[in-house]
Amino acid sequence: MTVKTKQFEHIITEQVRAEEAFLAEYKKGEYSFDQPYVKLNPYLIAPLTALVMFKTSVPVSVAIAVKGKESAGDLGFQFGPATEHMVPVYGLYGGYANQVELTLSSGEKTVLTIQTEEVPEKVKAPTKMETTAEYFQDHLMFVSPTSPALAAGYDYRGDVRWYGTLNFAFDIKRVKNGRLLLGTNRLVAPPYHTTGLFEMGIIGKIYKEYRLPSGYHHDQFEMEDGNLLILTQDLPRGTVEDMCVLVDRQTGAILKTWDYQKALPQDVGGSGSQDSHDWFHNNAVWYDKKTNSLTLSGRHQDAVINIDYETGSLNWVIGDPEGWPQELVDKYFFKPVGTGDFDWQYEQHACVVLPDGDIMCFDNGHWRSKVKEKYVPAKDNFSRGVRYRIDTDKMEIEQIWQYGKERGAEFFSTYICNVEYYGEGHYLVHSGGIGTYKGETCNKPPVQFRGEEEKDVVFNSITVELKDDVVMYEMQLPANYYRAEKLKLYCPEDVLTLGKGELVGTLGVTEEFSTIPPVEDGGMVPAQYHVKFGIEEDRMILKATFEKGQLVMLLLEGAETHSYFVPTTKRPFLAMCVGTFQESDERAVEFPVSKEGLKGEFKVALIVDEYKYDTGITVQI
Amino acid sequence: MAVTIREIDGDELEVLLAKGEGNILADFYSKTCGPCKMLSFVLKDIAKGIDDVEIVLLDYDMNKEALEKHNVTGYPTIIFFKNGQEIERMKGLQQKPVILRMISA
Repeated sequence: MTVKTKQFEHIITEQVRAEEAFLAEYKKGEYSFDQPYVKLNPYLIAPLTALVMFKTSVPVSVAIAVKGKESAGDLGFQFGPATEHMVPVYGLYGGYANQVELTLSSGEKTVLTIQTEEVPEKVKAPTKMETTAEYFQDHLMFVSPTSPALAAGYDYRGDVRWYGTLNFAFDIKRVKNGRLLLGTNRLVAPPYHTTGLFEMGIIGKIYKEYRLPSGYHHDQFEMEDGNLLILTQDLPRGTVEDMCVLVDRQTGAILKTWDYQKALPQDVGGSGSQDSHDWFHNNAVWYDKKTNSLTLSGRHQDAVINIDYETGSLNWVIGDPEGWPQELVDKYFFKPVGTGDFDWQYEQHACVVLPDGDIMCFDNGHWRSKVKEKYVPAKDNFSRGVRYRIDTDKMEIEQIWQYGKERGAEFFSTYICNVEYYGEGHYLVHSGGIGTYKGETCNKPPVQFRGEEEKDVVFNSITVELKDDVVMYEMQLPANYYRAEKLKLYCPEDVLTLGKGELVGTLGVTEEFSTIPPVEDGGMVPAQYHVKFGIEEDRMILKATFEKGQLVMLLLEGAETHSYFVPTTKRPFLAMCVGTFQESDERAVEFPVSKEGLKGEFKVALIVDEYKYDTGITVQI
Repeated sequence: MAVTIREIDGDELEVLLAKGEGNILADFYSKTCGPCKMLSFVLKDIAKGIDDVEIVLLDYDMNKEALEKHNVTGYPTIIFFKNGQEIERMKGLQQKPVILRMISA
């Protein structure tokens, strides 16, 4: 059997070719303000965007109004004077003849009709939307999926005004240059560790991919100088989600690393979902300049910890001290004070340091105890946004605000979710991981139900904004979403820049396995393994189907042989934070090999148990 | 220079440890685990080049008491004992140089 191979261009390469093509088309034609060049979805991955291009004989500024389905839905922006105009169009409706009004500073006006295709089924329609146009204005609520759905942005009516077609994962953050940072769609290791981060304009153009040797997960944070804190791990050492790196914004090089194994013991203080592989489960990072420290959320220790930026040493821990060694409790944990309501947070997400030093987070509340016998069942549990005030001199903590407890199990998410601080008393609380299975509140991430079970799962996501404890906004969506981020589509800093995006940083050299077991020649690889081989610009990917527990090695045989152990044992992932990379067949294996460190021509072979198989593939690197 | 690898049960492991002498490398493995299969080849390779460490295999599914006694929670797990005392343990598949470093401690 010949194995299927396919070359995959990086999206950055696809986009530059698309850009060259539409620029060439534009140059060939005679386009004017009255009859401009219009390119829908110019960068291939944001179908509700367009680019309008035309020339004017003298420099003029251009005002755009993307007309809403009612006047409150109009989106507008003003572009500075120029003679060569590239006007990004954002906020189109799907399946609609959109009216886009362009007005020059000279007074001339043109109205374009831009017809879009229907949005796909994976762009979910809200089941509830309660807010006002006055409150929400021209913002969109962006959400990034963890169940089968697409990242999308919704306006005050719940209309979809942006969506992306790539499998973006985890956090969406706008950085100072107006672009978005979001997880790449390139899987490094199951269940959801991807190669790094994309830096993308709203129009869908990817300007950079920041690659990391052991991949990215969950969260990133832009420092004052533009460098990036990115959550990662060291995959070969066998644990995950227990490291943070500082990445140079220009080169992608790792400038500094924080290893939490040096700050905390790995076998105490575990939450109900902890295992030795994912002992900390870092899902958020926040840098605080005042204290020059990193605040980190560790779901699998029910703990928000703070470490020194310079040394990485532990400063404090917010969490239920039950079960932790007394010497750690005495030194690092807080004592609750005050007369108000107080609950510790459990398996929390999205820690935020507020301007006054208070700490906010999303308290998922999963298990809601450190002691197995006291675990709270999902139907009796709650999730919430919570704000704590801490005194690091007296090591005292007070709960000064929460939202969600009163909603009970209806608002309960075992995983994911976030909070945002907009100003005093003005918060977002996003419970994005709600689900029921056969009508019962899920006590595990709803995306973990697989196969036949999936049809009995009902997903929900509730995003709330509050101002002085009044609910100003509530959106519900029938899927799970990692985070919600309120953003405007038009942003003065997000300027479309032509040219090819960059791959920065490194995937590193994939760890080889030095022992090769004795094998017999098995001939060509049998069809039963469904072997496919993908070749990307910077790595190769083996995809196949193996039974649990089979011994599999990938061999690249050239002037020297490179051998890689391919894991086939499925871990019981206790924190399926993003389920969008899961294959429907649980036996499916995806194994990437970085091209770094490889040069020459290689025959690709596979060892499966006691046989070595030829794949018929030769790669030139 | 070589040692043989043999399968034992939890009782036999306790007898070996009770002697309080020598070096023992115990591999808790499962027959349904790819990394365990690979680790067995790594251990065979190591066994060819050493003569002062006894390498023993314990089936994870057949030795529940030993798992509890030695707090083994997953497979493969390798534990290095010296004079009856645990010196170091490693979880998951390990490469030959890593194990050689472990047993030369």
